[in-house]
Amino acid sequence: MSEVERVSESYVPFRPGLLRFEGGRGVLVGGRCRSCGAVYFPAPEVCARCQGQDLEGVDLSGRGTVYTYTVVRQSTPEFRTPYVLVYVDLPEGVRVLGQLVGCEPEAVRVGMPVEVVFEEVARDPQGRPVVGWRFHPATEA
Amino acid sequence: MDVYVVGAGMTKFGKHPDRDAVDLAVEAVNEAIRDAGVDRRRIQAAYCGHVYGGMVLGQKVLARTGLAGIPLANVENACSSGATAIREGYLAIRAGEYDVVLAFGVEHLTTRFRGALTPGEEDLEGALGLTMPAVYAMRAVRHMTEFGTTREELAYVSVKNKRNASLNPYAQFQNPVTVEDVLNSRPIADPLRLLDCCPVSDGAAAVVLASERVVGELGRSRAVRLAAASLRTGTVEVGLPSMAFEPLTRATAQDAYERAGVGPEDVDFAEVHDCFSIAEVLRVEGLGLYPVGEYPKRAARGEADIGGRLPINPSGGLLGKGHPLGATGVAQVVELVRQLRGEAGPRQIEGARVGLAHCRGGKAAGVEGAACTVLIATR
Repeated sequence: MSEVERVSESYVPFRPGLLRFEGGRGVLVGGRCRSCGAVYFPAPEVCARCQGQDLEGVDLSGRGTVYTYTVVRQSTPEFRTPYVLVYVDLPEGVRVLGQLVGCEPEAVRVGMPVEVVFEEVARDPQGRPVVGWRFHPATEA
Repeated sequence: MDVYVVGAGMTKFGKHPDRDAVDLAVEAVNEAIRDAGVDRRRIQAAYCGHVYGGMVLGQKVLARTGLAGIPLANVENACSSGATAIREGYLAIRAGEYDVVLAFGVEHLTTRFRGALTPGEEDLEGALGLTMPAVYAMRAVRHMTEFGTTREELAYVSVKNKRNASLNPYAQFQNPVTVEDVLNSRPIADPLRLLDCCPVSDGAAAVVLASERVVGELGRSRAVRLAAASLRTGTVEVGLPSMAFEPLTRATAQDAYERAGVGPEDVDFAEVHDCFSIAEVLRVEGLGLYPVGEYPKRAARGEADIGGRLPINPSGGLLGKGHPLGATGVAQVVELVRQLRGEAGPRQIEGARVGLAHCRGGKAAGVEGAACTVLIATR
């Protein structure tokens, strides 16, 4: 039984295909066009730049910098406010949206180094934890 | 084959708890037909823009307005639904298929939503907690970071549009606000506050379109030429593009300018999709009406006021007039018609000959925007 299958028995990924677990650690999975090298998250079926149809999965870096952010004060009932949203630029040249945890909302800045963390974000209808990604201020430079 | 707007009508935008979408649309359709002075038996086809109105909403309106039997298509393109409905009618007339077409848009949003709209929970970013105010808040942060735009300058956009709305009896907001009011209103998604956001609205708007062939007979003196009706979808973003500029708006505008044979320097006023204060900034700069990065400062100096160098959203825009999604794009054309005919009363722009209407709707993960329309009308 593969690691992914073993983990998925107890954890449900927030979006299948966008994250995987290896040795107890999570990784964001993007797509790279084998023709032109464009990287996406999430990956389309056809490359938007060169229309190539051969895209491969690519592990994305767990670290990046905050491109922009907001503190959401009013949202839909599923979300407890306030929470911080950030767009994070990763070294692969992709921008990923996520919630930022682990610091006061007022401390968030453009350019701030952050790292991706994997946490339970909800429960599925069977009561199993749904694991998704969040960002956290980077622990070291 | 040139296309003309020969009739325009709309309901007052606002909260209509005692009426439903069909009822609102019937009022707007009847007003547009009356305004056109056309026998309704001459209307050959109809297009209805709406988002949350449910199945065959347009047909329900035809059934109550003596129009049942003609071809009708319901059109959904998020906030661009109404403008897309007009474009469908424009294309059908240009193709020579029809001479007289009805296009209308309607939404009863107060019964569907309270508070922030989202991209939809099935959308990846919606599931991560992205709301529409959050999208624009994050774009505001970038505009402030890249161009030094201030919080007060953004607030002025809302002040201007609510002041214009107070001159428009069809607008949801009838009272002006101050910069201080905006800055002291409830925080929604930092740095945006309640008065930076358009309201949740009900309303309907309608136009009657006619071909060159019949416009003379219907009355050319009040007809307005629809010189372009362009539509684009947002492309998938590759790499790390700026969120302080809108390539989708730019691409749609370039298509419309080429088709209309005018440039941004010829535009006398514009109705743009100001769902948020920062949104007006991004639209106007994307349309090339003001230089990129400079609009907030120039607007705060009064350049975009009625009577200014290039007035933006004289109707009050979405911030002041309201934003019943499907009706919005059609109501923008209603304002274009009233301004170009010289019937805009206290908010009249003197000598207006070229008006532009811009809508942008929807959000999907990975694309810059979903649907964008630019319509240009001339006198």
